[in-house]
Amino acid sequence: MRKLLRVYTALLKANLSEALEYRAQIFLWLISSIFPLVMMSVWLALLSEAKQIAGWGQADFVSYYVGMILVNHLTGSWLLWDWDDDMRTGGLSTKLLKPIDPFHYHISGQLGWKALLVIFIVPVIVGVAVLSPLVTFPLNFLTSLTFILALIFGFILTTVIACTFAMLGFWSTQVRNVYQLWFGAGQFLSGFIAPLAMFPPAVRSIAYVLPYRGYLGFPLEILTGHLTWPDIEFGLITDIIWITIFFILYRMLWKAGLRRYEAVGA
Amino acid sequence: MSIQVESLTKHFRVHQKEPGLAGSIRSFVRRRYETVRAVDDITFEIAQGEVVGFLGPNGAGKTTTLKCLSGLLYPTSGTVQVLGYTPAKRDPDYLGQFTLVMGQRNQLMWDLPAIETFLVNQAIYDVPEAEFRETLDELVALLDLEPLLKKQVRKLSLGERMRCELAASLLHRPRMIFLDEPTLGLDITAQQAIRTFIREYNQRTNATVLLTSHYMADVTALAKRILVIEHGKLRYDGDLQALIEQRAPYRLLRLTLDHAVDSADLNALGTIESRDGLEVTLRVPRGSTRDAAARALSTLPVEDVAIEDPAVEDIIREVFEMGEVNA
Amino acid sequence: MRKYLRLLAIFYKNTLINELEYRLNFLSNMFLSLFWLTWAALSVRVYFFHADSIQGWTYYQTLIVMGLFFGMNGYRQMILTPNLSRISEYVRMGTLDYMLTKPVDSQFMVSLRNIGVYNWGDPLLGLGLVIFALAHLGVWPSPMQIVLFVVMLVAAAVLLYSLNLILQTTTIWLVNVERVDTLVQGLLETGRFPVNFYGGWVRAALTVIVPVAFMTTFPTQALLGRLNSSTALISVAAAIIFLIIASTFWRFALHSYTGASS
Repeated sequence: MRKLLRVYTALLKANLSEALEYRAQIFLWLISSIFPLVMMSVWLALLSEAKQIAGWGQADFVSYYVGMILVNHLTGSWLLWDWDDDMRTGGLSTKLLKPIDPFHYHISGQLGWKALLVIFIVPVIVGVAVLSPLVTFPLNFLTSLTFILALIFGFILTTVIACTFAMLGFWSTQVRNVYQLWFGAGQFLSGFIAPLAMFPPAVRSIAYVLPYRGYLGFPLEILTGHLTWPDIEFGLITDIIWITIFFILYRMLWKAGLRRYEAVGA
Repeated sequence: MSIQVESLTKHFRVHQKEPGLAGSIRSFVRRRYETVRAVDDITFEIAQGEVVGFLGPNGAGKTTTLKCLSGLLYPTSGTVQVLGYTPAKRDPDYLGQFTLVMGQRNQLMWDLPAIETFLVNQAIYDVPEAEFRETLDELVALLDLEPLLKKQVRKLSLGERMRCELAASLLHRPRMIFLDEPTLGLDITAQQAIRTFIREYNQRTNATVLLTSHYMADVTALAKRILVIEHGKLRYDGDLQALIEQRAPYRLLRLTLDHAVDSADLNALGTIESRDGLEVTLRVPRGSTRDAAARALSTLPVEDVAIEDPAVEDIIREVFEMGEVNA
Repeated sequence: MRKYLRLLAIFYKNTLINELEYRLNFLSNMFLSLFWLTWAALSVRVYFFHADSIQGWTYYQTLIVMGLFFGMNGYRQMILTPNLSRISEYVRMGTLDYMLTKPVDSQFMVSLRNIGVYNWGDPLLGLGLVIFALAHLGVWPSPMQIVLFVVMLVAAAVLLYSLNLILQTTTIWLVNVERVDTLVQGLLETGRFPVNFYGGWVRAALTVIVPVAFMTTFPTQALLGRLNSSTALISVAAAIIFLIIASTFWRFALHSYTGASS
């Protein structure tokens, strides 16, 4: 365990150093958080003709989408692309020779970037929340902790889902496309295209039990104060169930995939 | 003179990166720059048809010089004239008359057979069909490319790829050939094939060949004349053989002994260059190497013997220590 | 001129030969394109559940903008990303050096050398969506409007190319920047919707500072007969001006790369 910790520290330091090298890159990554604001603009345009939509006013939408920038950056990951690259270029073979699971290499890369994002993005969003009357995150101590928990769950969920899809790379060359399909379809039910409150109750019920909400809509709704405690508990349990399902799927596919990999060759 | 270089100087500004996390944060906030003098006041002239080798350790300035001749770099000061053109102006007429091949850097398209890249180059250099076919046939014969033409480039071995690279770069019959570390990473057979080819090509077409390498063997096989560049400065410009004989009028006798032997016995044969347990290296004057070896075998408990030329690095290092040398 | 056309033919023939090997890739990418188009049309529908028109744009009119966005994005992925976005790679791998020693214009090589065959369907799908939307509107543009539309499209394509070239050329100095493409993509995303959807100052920024409005909104207005002539003239002028700026900047960057100014 201590060895793993040491490995992580070393990997994290190296990744952070590497990330810091790319000053301009960081700047651009920050700028590319634009799309949530694009969607927000459409809602605001809609609002200019109706005072409220489904009980949401201007402040609700602005808070939601500004919060989305934060949540997106904190729970998102490009783990799948990392794995896929590795599998196709033979980097996986090199990693398999090391005494630790390749997963640790990939995740430490993501965590390195996350650390940077936390340092840069969180203050900006908090600053916006403090300065702008439109952006309000009605959190108390308890809901803040829950929010952070939901974020962590969201990140873990994104990670295990990405790993599961990545494992398909042992059998298919089209993993990136399949992942895009899955992810893209999910954007309707995660709260990305529109806050889930905008959908009819039937659609909302479905969205509440699917995994998509776990990494976006759920933490976001906690942040913007739209959830009551029973809802929050339900969401956390849903998260845990989906994390478990995907984790098991991931490990099963990993074992099967490795066997195939070693039989067939890189 | 085909190539005239006068007082060529090239400086670069390079960003300094400090190691460790603290260093990274510091360089994130403020970058530090240093000026590197890649080429420092070099002057030489080369006639058409010569094969000239640029020798020197890594980072000495050989590649930078070649890039200045190719028009890829603008000199900081000094002048460069090749075939009457100023390379840095990159006149299309000039570009069609030379070729640059960099070892371990591909211009061949990876997923297609080499022949496809040849056709692309034909279009790029506007080579008429008849001339292209003739040149291609010649190159295929000289480089033994027939079995390779239809294979995907990524499936070729390093040596095969290099031969195809050379062919691709010569389809437009350039008068000036710049080779930057062409045999880097190749095995002995491949290296020899490349050297043989270059020599033949130069004899057939009278193209000028400039070759940089840090392998002595490349240069001994091909170039009568060498330019030694170290730390950006030209240390020697002249005949290779003359340099070797002048600077290193000796050869090395490597002996593996059965059991330890008195230094006096070894000194009788030659100067002791190094001694590592039972491995002894002696310096022996050039003419008397065979005699010395024979005497070693008869008078000493020798298990194994080898006769070698001194390493280029050693010769060159001595050249540097002596300062500039006139041929 | 003929030499350059011949080169283009050879380049694209080679890419096609290469990629046709991977039939599965072709099929799955075609399917993915169709998926994203449907996704786009449906996501716009969500907004129109709550209103019949937004800032004077109805659902089908908005779909036209969406279709043009799709086509523009396809063009970006076919022509711009496989080429301009690789400039930093060319610098790193020494490929730029090889390009500079060949008697072919470097801007040509760096802009048109490659083509992204997997997105060939996108411009067609985008156009298909536009026609579909027009059919639902029951309004067909006059020949004059179509001509204007084409002019605006070409201006948009040239503008997008020029902006991309300017941005990617900076990677000659900032060698490690890989996210420039993401930035352009992000900014282009705002072109999904008519520029009128955005609030005052954003709309101004998207028209003047980062001319996304030119990409999709203006050509749509041309098609719907709502474009005024001064906007059209400005579009064409902007395209030409930015093209000149981009080409000049590229040459300047090369000058710097070869150390001319140091």
